[in-house]
Amino acid sequence: MKGKYKYLLRMQLYNLFGFNRLIHSRDKQEKQRLAIVVAFGLAAIAILVIYTTKFSIGMAEAGLCEALPTLMVVVSSLAALTLTFVKSTGVLIGLKDYDMVMSMPVNTFSIVTSRITLLYLINLIIGFIAMLPSGIIYIAYEHPPICSYLFLVGALFLMPIIPMIISLSLGVLIVAVSSRSRHKNIFSLVLSTAAVLMIVFASAKTQSMDATQITDLSVTMAETVNRFYPPAILFTNALIHNDWADFAIFSAISLLLGIAFIGIVSHYYKTLNTAVFSHYAKKNYKIGALKSSSPFMALYKKEFRRLGSCTIYALNSCIGIVLLLVMAVMAVFFMPSTLRQQVEAMGIMSVVQNIMPIALAIFVSMTSTTAASLSLEGKNRWIMCSVPTLARTVYNSKIAVNLTVILPILYVSAIFIRIVIPCSFMQTVLLFVIPTVYAFFISVLGIYLNIKFPKYDWTSEYYAVKGGAISVLATIGGGMASSLIPLYLCIIFQHYQIIIMLSITCLILLITLAIYYKVCQTKLYV
Amino acid sequence: MDNVLEIKNYSKVYSGNKKAVDSLNLMVKAGEIHAFIGHNGAGKTTTIRAVVGIMDFDEGEILINGHSVKDDPVKCKSMTAYIPDNPDLYDYITGIQYLNYMCDMFSVSAKERVSRIQKYADVLKLTDGLGNLISSYSHGMKQKLALIGAFIHSPQLFVLDEPFVGLDPEATFHLKKMMRELCDAGTAIFFSTHVLEVAEKLCDKVTIINNGKLIESGTMEEIKGSHSLEDVFMEVVENERQV
Repeated sequence: MKGKYKYLLRMQLYNLFGFNRLIHSRDKQEKQRLAIVVAFGLAAIAILVIYTTKFSIGMAEAGLCEALPTLMVVVSSLAALTLTFVKSTGVLIGLKDYDMVMSMPVNTFSIVTSRITLLYLINLIIGFIAMLPSGIIYIAYEHPPICSYLFLVGALFLMPIIPMIISLSLGVLIVAVSSRSRHKNIFSLVLSTAAVLMIVFASAKTQSMDATQITDLSVTMAETVNRFYPPAILFTNALIHNDWADFAIFSAISLLLGIAFIGIVSHYYKTLNTAVFSHYAKKNYKIGALKSSSPFMALYKKEFRRLGSCTIYALNSCIGIVLLLVMAVMAVFFMPSTLRQQVEAMGIMSVVQNIMPIALAIFVSMTSTTAASLSLEGKNRWIMCSVPTLARTVYNSKIAVNLTVILPILYVSAIFIRIVIPCSFMQTVLLFVIPTVYAFFISVLGIYLNIKFPKYDWTSEYYAVKGGAISVLATIGGGMASSLIPLYLCIIFQHYQIIIMLSITCLILLITLAIYYKVCQTKLYV
Repeated sequence: MDNVLEIKNYSKVYSGNKKAVDSLNLMVKAGEIHAFIGHNGAGKTTTIRAVVGIMDFDEGEILINGHSVKDDPVKCKSMTAYIPDNPDLYDYITGIQYLNYMCDMFSVSAKERVSRIQKYADVLKLTDGLGNLISSYSHGMKQKLALIGAFIHSPQLFVLDEPFVGLDPEATFHLKKMMRELCDAGTAIFFSTHVLEVAEKLCDKVTIINNGKLIESGTMEEIKGSHSLEDVFMEVVENERQV
């Protein structure tokens, strides 16, 4: 069994981060693409390590080193919780290679273990990045006894297990309950959006505070977590009080829960997958009147169905604009009036009024359904390529979907913000016009980069949307840079805000037109 | 009879200068069923993909009713129906949504599409399941849906890559019958197959391709004479191997 598990895991690892392709591909372009993905990944890791190191040093210097172990648990657990939830069904249930794997002479326990091991390894890497700097800072400032080193290393390996089980259970439960529902994607999308928004707001709240507030919040958070998440108090006690018994209990709970979970899922694995794969097929369809549409509208409607059918795609590409709406609503209904008075008293209201269009553009430039839209055609792309329509019409339909997602939400949010922040007529016009230009820019940039860097050979949609999809990374990176640079310039050169914004917006418009022209010249082939 | 499909000196070179297809010449006339046979990797799918305009090519010319696939792809595609060897369809829509989508793309009027869908779906026994998501379909049902999507816009050229794989005997029977009906109505049919018995019974003409090169092309009688197509194919391939 152990040998077969090894082979199954190896096959899973071949697909992880695309390293196998990097080694074996003879295509130079593909190698370059993968090298860029690896560079992006390493840059993200470096940023995360610097951020956690700075934060941990700040905590330690404020004399709050004892809160670090719990915060390590919080960061690592939240990362595992979110990451596993996003990937849960794609890794465990409803996989495309299910038939092939299940037909092999290997028990379901090995199959499930190999799949969960892959998730565990990903979480382990994230956990190491999130916890290791804090652990080193803790050791450097507290000089704990040698057993604490063991506790820390043990915790690095054991910490992801419980959050993983919670997320996987939730994911499996959603699959089990909704496998026959037509609205399972919407249900899953709402739940996932809510989870992401909670995490984003929690971290944004932390970032907007000063040092004292952060440390106070961290201590309060540590106390709350210790109260409601028993593994955290066990680990904290083990580390701070050198308590071997608590560490043993923490380890035992993590391992036993892990084994029990694998056992239970293995037992019901076939049943769960059968529920996912076997749909209730009604056999009473009667052909009625059918509405006809133009090729563009047909493509547009199909594209919208694609967006609604894939939770990870909708969540990943639309979270920016959803975030803007939530913030705008909160600004109207929940912003304390004292905050506005404070802004006026500080004399920065005119700065806020001027830079608001670019602030909105930041959220817009995070929203691109187009960046993964071609990749998501995957093995279906023969249809797109063989229908009698211009490639331009296909691209336009994908651009139109992104604009449909962005523009209504953007305008509603802009109206809310206009209610909260008094603006002149010119400022109000810019509040609508500048983000609109960015909406066109990010839509066109997304499709252009997806034409340049398509990823058709995915086994799960996750790999087309996330998982190192270079077009998505480059689009969001380019979009963010295009909006953050003018914002930064506006803050530095306050007297030239309007000139900076208008000139950069004109430049963005020209770039958009140039990219669109180039896109229209590109033919579609499989 | 007019040539619906004309392939002139078509070559496809993959990276490393390997010629997947080498100077292929071929014609398919209106009302003709033309089989395209060869072993795995012979260049059948590469040729078919170029014909339907989904793969770019380096040399030669491919014309559909006189229009160049390279220069006028939309016009050519509007006259052609294509079914790949493994038709992956959109899993996230229903069968009827897929057919309606195909009708929109090929500009089939709202009135005509209902009667055509009804006709073909009834023949292939798929009407009852059209309201279900494609993800719930079996391989054979997907194959049938792809066939209806191809028949629905009354193409002048019908290109199929291994159309009989995965079909049940009844659907195979109906497909052959429908191909013959389309052919009688003037449609040209060009398809690749490994089922030589079907090709022998169904086709008017046959082309044998080996390692990207045309080996034999002609009417079924010219090619096979008094032998079976299988015998001829084996002999031709064996001769080529020895050369």
